[in-house]
Amino acid sequence: MPIALDRRNLDTWQDPKATPYVRIERVSKRFGEHHAVEDLSLDIFKGEFFSLLGSSGCGKSTLLRMLAGLEYPTAGRIYIDGVDVTDVPPYSRPVNMMFQSYALFPHMTVAQNIEFGLKQERLGRGERAERVDEMLELLRIAELRRRKPEQLSGGQRQRVALARSLAKHPKLLLLDEPLGALDKRLRENTQFELVNLQERLGITFITVTHDQEEAMTMSTRIAVMDAGQIMQVDTPTAIYEYPSCRFVAEFIGSINQFEGKVVESDGDQLLIETRLGRPMRVRNFHPLALGTPVTLAVRPEKMRLCLDYREDGVNQLRGVVEDIAYLGDVSIYRLRVEGQRVEMTLTNTQPRTEQVLTWDQEVAIEWSPTSAVVLTE
Amino acid sequence: MPAPQDNPPARRQRLSRVVNIGLPYLWLGVFFLLPLLIVLQISVAEPRLGQPPYTPLWEWLESGVLQIQVNLQNFMLVWEDSIYLTAFLNSLWVALVCTLLCLLIGYPMAYAIATAPPRWRIPLLMLVILPFWTSFLIRVYAWIGILKTNGLLNHLLLALGVIDTPLNILHTQTAVYIGVVYSYLPFMILPLYANLSRLDPTLLEAAADLGCRPLRAFVRVTLPLSLAGIVAGSMLVFIPVVGEFVIPDLLGGPETLMVGKLLWTEFFGNKDWPLAAALAIVLLGLLVVPFVLMQRLERRMEDSA
Ligand SMILES: Nc1ncnc2c1ncn2[C@@H]1O[C@H](COP(=O)(O)OP(=O)(O)OP(=O)(O)O)[C@@H](O)[C@H]1O
Ligand SMILES: [Mg+2]
Repeated sequence: MPIALDRRNLDTWQDPKATPYVRIERVSKRFGEHHAVEDLSLDIFKGEFFSLLGSSGCGKSTLLRMLAGLEYPTAGRIYIDGVDVTDVPPYSRPVNMMFQSYALFPHMTVAQNIEFGLKQERLGRGERAERVDEMLELLRIAELRRRKPEQLSGGQRQRVALARSLAKHPKLLLLDEPLGALDKRLRENTQFELVNLQERLGITFITVTHDQEEAMTMSTRIAVMDAGQIMQVDTPTAIYEYPSCRFVAEFIGSINQFEGKVVESDGDQLLIETRLGRPMRVRNFHPLALGTPVTLAVRPEKMRLCLDYREDGVNQLRGVVEDIAYLGDVSIYRLRVEGQRVEMTLTNTQPRTEQVLTWDQEVAIEWSPTSAVVLTE
Repeated sequence: MPAPQDNPPARRQRLSRVVNIGLPYLWLGVFFLLPLLIVLQISVAEPRLGQPPYTPLWEWLESGVLQIQVNLQNFMLVWEDSIYLTAFLNSLWVALVCTLLCLLIGYPMAYAIATAPPRWRIPLLMLVILPFWTSFLIRVYAWIGILKTNGLLNHLLLALGVIDTPLNILHTQTAVYIGVVYSYLPFMILPLYANLSRLDPTLLEAAADLGCRPLRAFVRVTLPLSLAGIVAGSMLVFIPVVGEFVIPDLLGGPETLMVGKLLWTEFFGNKDWPLAAALAIVLLGLLVVPFVLMQRLERRMEDSA
């Protein structure tokens, strides 16, 4: 899984006294009959690196464009820094955007592109030149200053676009798939750079992405969207470990699901009877009535081989290895357990030739009650 | 490693380059340079009665002497007689004014078509092209009916009470402007449309995001990016209008002295082919100058931008 960044001092959203920097209040956007965004509310705090994550066409760009003023909501209000900007045109908003296609001006050099926004402010010539130099320096593209966009590589264009959107020192930067056009390697390097930049400048970032790993690596918080609505807003860890619903659980990573109902509730643990006919124990923080139909979800890497399998064991299953996918660092094993597919990921601590599990082998697996989550919707 | 130009693909590439560059040159040579040389030859001849109605450039005399006769008097005449100079200046002036008018009217139209909803674009373009389906001559004649003293326009204005006495428009320079702008507007609109429709709308969004109001975004982004279209459209209007003959002849009056008309008179009226050819050569020279200037301007814009 992605390496988490040090975010220890940044959890402003947990402070009940903090006022949100961006407040999206019951915003809807319709294109004709199509609801791109529907009754969506969201608070984003100062200094956050906030990601909107969702599959294609779920309304991420539309939401971002409404923050930039390039699209106006059909209903609802948007506040930035306490000011209602719902009807404010883009050129009067204290916000800058980095476009997915970069949208660099083809008739201007790199330096002129960066200077473009500064010319709209009442800045002197010297001050503008200083700011341009600062940006060129910051993104390490000084040697490109006289080039035209068509003479740049994809990665260089991305830097110029970023420099241009940062040049006006916005308090809020919107990034629509900032790394979308880069190859995998460059992406990974740039992810860290982007986060470092954001922390150094203290700007609030809102990015759009449909790459979950990217969102996990960079964000303070993630909003998972589906069909114009937000399914869950939380830190990357919480989104991964404690998804609030089946959509989020399935969207991020892969997960095993066992359907069943609550048969016993004791303290912070539930006993769930699943269709597989065995009781499963899981830690739970929300009270659930007996008999409630639930889904028990366990990540594949939370499974482990079971050495003391018992017929009535809790959180234990026995199945047959159906498929093995060797990925180098880990292997994914697909097991068939009483007609249901179960996925398990094991770290390859041994060379492949010496691995214990092979096709058609019968294995027993187990997981700890704290490793599973209960989903009710 | 052998030298790269020795392998077959390189040779094939060279061949294709020769064909690529050679064909247009061949075309230009046969259909442009050759006729030009013929006109040049006529311009330095003397008029005479007979077929052809001008003296040949060279002649073998019986004594075995090759006699080459170059007569520069036509050019001297064009320079000395002020009527020709006036006609040239007037033509350039009319062409300039009409080009600017076409640009002023055509740019907003091209912009409107390029930014219209996609399903509207083709019908709107068709409307621009539609007049071409009628003969040019007939359309210019139609303007006589509109502009004459008891024509459509005057009837309308009188009926509306805008004027008390009919306007005298036909057979004035104004009528020429109206006719030329009407006839050449599509040549301005089409290249501008082609250019503006390729403009990426997210560039304007980026400009707005960086603080530009719509008008400033237009000046700083749309206008410079459509410069190529402006130049192309202006050339397509300016160059033919300088030599335009039909419109000044039909709609213009005695004071509309244009080169095209003079040329026609010399050629068909006075049967003075050499003088007409000399006028044509000077006209061509005059047209090359703005062309070169335009091109240089464009290159400078590109370099400095
Ligand atoms: N200008 C528009 N007119 C009509 N429909 C639109 C318009 N813009 C977006 N939509 C629709 O709204 C929905 C959301 O679009 P949006 O661009 O926000 O998706 P997205 O989440 O950014 O997707 P992607 O990841 O592919 O960029 C889509 O179904 C899209 O077709
Ligand atoms: Mg998008």
